[in-house]
Amino acid sequence: MAVTRKLRAAIVGAGIVGAASAYFLSRAGFAVQMLDAAAPASGATGSADGAVSVASKRPGPMMEAAIRGVETYRDLHGAGIFEGVFKERSTFMLAQDAAEDAVLEAHAVALSGNGVELRLHREDALHRTVQNLSRAIRSAIEVRGEGHAIGYEVTSRLIAASGATVARGCRVNGFRTASRSGSLDALETSAGTIEADLVVLAAGGGSASLLGLASALRPRKGQLLVTERAPALNAGIRGSLMSCRYLMSKDSTETRMTGSGRRFGLVVDPLRTGQFLIGGTREETAERGTDADAVRRLLVEAVALVPRLREVRLLRTFAGVRTATADGRPLIGRVRGFDNVLVATGFEGDGICLGPLTGKIVSQLARGEPTAIDLSPFDPARFATQEQAA
Amino acid sequence: MRDPDVLVVGAGPAGISAAAELAAAGLSVLWIDQRDRPGGAIHRQPSAASTAIAFGPASVRNQWRRLHARFQGTGVSLTGETGFAGIDSDGVAILEQRHSGTTTCVRAKAIILAVGAVERVLPRPGWHLPGVCTAGGMQVMLKETGSPPRGRVLVAGNGPLTLALATQLAAAGNPPVAVLEASDPFRRPSHALALMRSPRLVGEALHYSTRVAFARIPWKRGRRVVAIESHGGALRVRSVAKNGYVETFDVEHIALHDGIRPNTFGLPEGEARPFIIRAGDCREALGAVAAEVDGKQAARRVIARLRGEPAPKPHPMLNAERRAQDTLASLFRPHGDAVPADLPDDTILCRCEGRTVGDLRTLLAAHPGISPREVKLNGRFAMGLCQGRFCADNVAALLEHGGETGPVSADALTGTRWPIRPIAIASLIRDADDPNSSTPQ
Ligand SMILES: Cc1cc2nc3c(=O)[nH]c(=O)nc-3n(C[C@H](O)[C@H](O)[C@H](O)COP(=O)(O)OP(=O)(O)OC[C@H]3O[C@@H](n4cnc5c(N)ncnc54)[C@H](O)[C@@H]3O)c2cc1C
Ligand SMILES: Cc1cc2nc3c(=O)[nH]c(=O)nc-3n(C[C@H](O)[C@H](O)[C@H](O)COP(=O)(O)OP(=O)(O)OC[C@H]3O[C@@H](n4cnc5c(N)ncnc54)[C@H](O)[C@@H]3O)c2cc1C
Repeated sequence: MAVTRKLRAAIVGAGIVGAASAYFLSRAGFAVQMLDAAAPASGATGSADGAVSVASKRPGPMMEAAIRGVETYRDLHGAGIFEGVFKERSTFMLAQDAAEDAVLEAHAVALSGNGVELRLHREDALHRTVQNLSRAIRSAIEVRGEGHAIGYEVTSRLIAASGATVARGCRVNGFRTASRSGSLDALETSAGTIEADLVVLAAGGGSASLLGLASALRPRKGQLLVTERAPALNAGIRGSLMSCRYLMSKDSTETRMTGSGRRFGLVVDPLRTGQFLIGGTREETAERGTDADAVRRLLVEAVALVPRLREVRLLRTFAGVRTATADGRPLIGRVRGFDNVLVATGFEGDGICLGPLTGKIVSQLARGEPTAIDLSPFDPARFATQEQAA
Repeated sequence: MRDPDVLVVGAGPAGISAAAELAAAGLSVLWIDQRDRPGGAIHRQPSAASTAIAFGPASVRNQWRRLHARFQGTGVSLTGETGFAGIDSDGVAILEQRHSGTTTCVRAKAIILAVGAVERVLPRPGWHLPGVCTAGGMQVMLKETGSPPRGRVLVAGNGPLTLALATQLAAAGNPPVAVLEASDPFRRPSHALALMRSPRLVGEALHYSTRVAFARIPWKRGRRVVAIESHGGALRVRSVAKNGYVETFDVEHIALHDGIRPNTFGLPEGEARPFIIRAGDCREALGAVAAEVDGKQAARRVIARLRGEPAPKPHPMLNAERRAQDTLASLFRPHGDAVPADLPDDTILCRCEGRTVGDLRTLLAAHPGISPREVKLNGRFAMGLCQGRFCADNVAALLEHGGETGPVSADALTGTRWPIRPIAIASLIRDADDPNSSTPQ
């Protein structure tokens, strides 16, 4: 009897996208090896807020993908894999003046058009629903049925559940093409040549040089703050608080923010631990420092939303670097010129939400199955690719 | 607050001599300490309300007279009750003013960090219970209030500081029931002889050991504390000798101490702008006399740097102090691993988040080859309020026992960051130069 050997999948990058790909590929029967230049969750995944949220998505393919992204979280939670790491909660989008009210209203129409469950809260009813909110906030749209997950926790769970091996400190420098044209048979890495039948490029910003797509992928830094535990204050805030400005800074609405400087968009997220996560900025740089100007500005705005945050201490500041694309949509699909190389990168500020779904799509592509969502808006071929040197 | 040429953080021996040297050279100095008066860990002055107890041998008291005269002479003045919270990515120093509840940002051309050393305390079953404190913590309380804790006290751990505390407790009227020492210095005569080359250390050693003997405090060497339990409103402390002999002590308080290490948690260092250097015990824990010399050295390096002159040579005296400290360290080296590999699973490692040795073992077993950063994020070690000050060294030591990673440094868990300690949001959003506004410019 012939013994069939398992197909070997090598995943470049052990962020949330790589980890989710590992999980679904190993369930699909692949022997999976993950290669990371540093360590799991050392990129954007380990320095992110964790909104698993439809609320902040731009109407169109991103909003539709996010709806399926949240579903995937629920499925994995149901399967026990995300037990204790996925917290279901609402997002409250807050308007502070008439102009913001109008922006929110238009966004609400798009959300409910996609079947998202919304509630409008005004005046006293709002303050009964969300405690400790500033009285200056008059109305909020509650987006129900979403949640929060910490990127590094999700990544760790997925890797453990996949049983994949992880090579830390292993940088992939290039591809080796096979004798058979149109396929890749090995990766050139800092730890030597590694053979594989299937390669998944999930290296975040590191994917750019491997793909020859340096101009299509750009770093976008975000600064984030974490407070000490404040359980009493935390308990009164039922969900994430998102200022209308956040949507605008993220280009999620039709009203774009102008200017090339850094953008601020406030989110106050009550964490499971009783801490608060406060974000964030969008800055066109890959440098990972945090500065007093930005931190103070975020805190001033956070205190304007939740005055009692004054009583709490700031524990940590950190920054992460998102991988952005020119059109705001990620790259998911086959890499042109190879029949056994898939790419999944460019998730900007949405990869925590979309990571698990993307892992599932990667395994569907690997097995030639129909994909969970229509991938044409995410086709990597929309950016001019250079031929990859052998 | 005006931007100074140099920011000096810390008013112990190193910070005092650095600030005085810079002022004497005509540079503008902003000299801060989180406490309200100069002195540092060793010359800590009692708070205004209590009476001072004269501590320490003559060499210590002489140093204080010298330092006091030095900074008074140069006219440099301390901005007290001001905590250094770190340096941001633009090179701006963030200073928290505790009395006014405000925060100021200053840009200095150079920064000297002279924030001293911190105590090491090893994890032991029950070390998180009420009634357990650090030897340094008990010493601070003594110096500040002038009175000892009530009830029976046990002092345990490793290194000469335990004897110093015992002497001070005796002088204050409540000698400890015993001092338990993990090492056995009497069994290392060759190191004891080497110590003779440093007359000052011999003087200090004699000062403390004769006083311990006079007060009839048993100094039990070769003893480890293996468990602390609550027992009828008090603490029951179990100790084991090298030969396996078990002795139990019932006390109200136990002060633990396992040596000191530079207080570098989260601190930046570098040649870029601003030019940041460390001085005194926070650069290398060589003691108060070396700290004084090192502070002056650091100031000279800064002066040379700002004037574009070549850097001065290191002071030869630091080598002598290093040799003396090395000798002391070998004399007091405990047998076996500092953090025992066989600690029970329920021993607390991170006191802030209540994480145990067992939690760490489970994590390592599930993720072979895991990196220190993953241990931090997924294990929540060094993630709590103290940001690793208490647990990072111990977690790093246990990771090394784990074997796969090779040497692990605590820095891999604590990193460089700001704020270096939690900072009140209320004060962070209030600028000292404009206390009415909560809007940064
Ligand atoms: C401040 C901030 C806030 C965010 N908030 C949210 C949010 O609320 N909700 C949300 O959904 N998303 C959020 N995101 C976005 C989310 O974090 C990212 O989209 C997501 O983590 C991307 O995951 P990834 O696996 O594609 O990439 P990464 O996490 O960046 O992982 C890439 C990995 O590849 C490795 N690598 C790179 N090059 C190589 C190479 N040549 N060889 C081997 N390995 C390599 C890296 O070491 C890294 O570990 C936020 C991001 C930031 C920065
Ligand atoms: C707990 C303890 C007990 C000791 N007991 C003895 C003893 O009994 N005998 C002996 O000979 N030596 C003792 N030493 C050693 C001795 O104190 C040091 O060698 C000496 O004080 C080092 O001087 P320094 O200037 O480097 O630091 P320190 O004297 O420690 O001065 C550091 C100063 O920095 C300040 N500081 C720290 N962090 C900040 C911040 N973020 N912002 C603002 N200010 C800050 C502190 O308040 C302090 O005043 C002890 C050390 C410790 C830690």
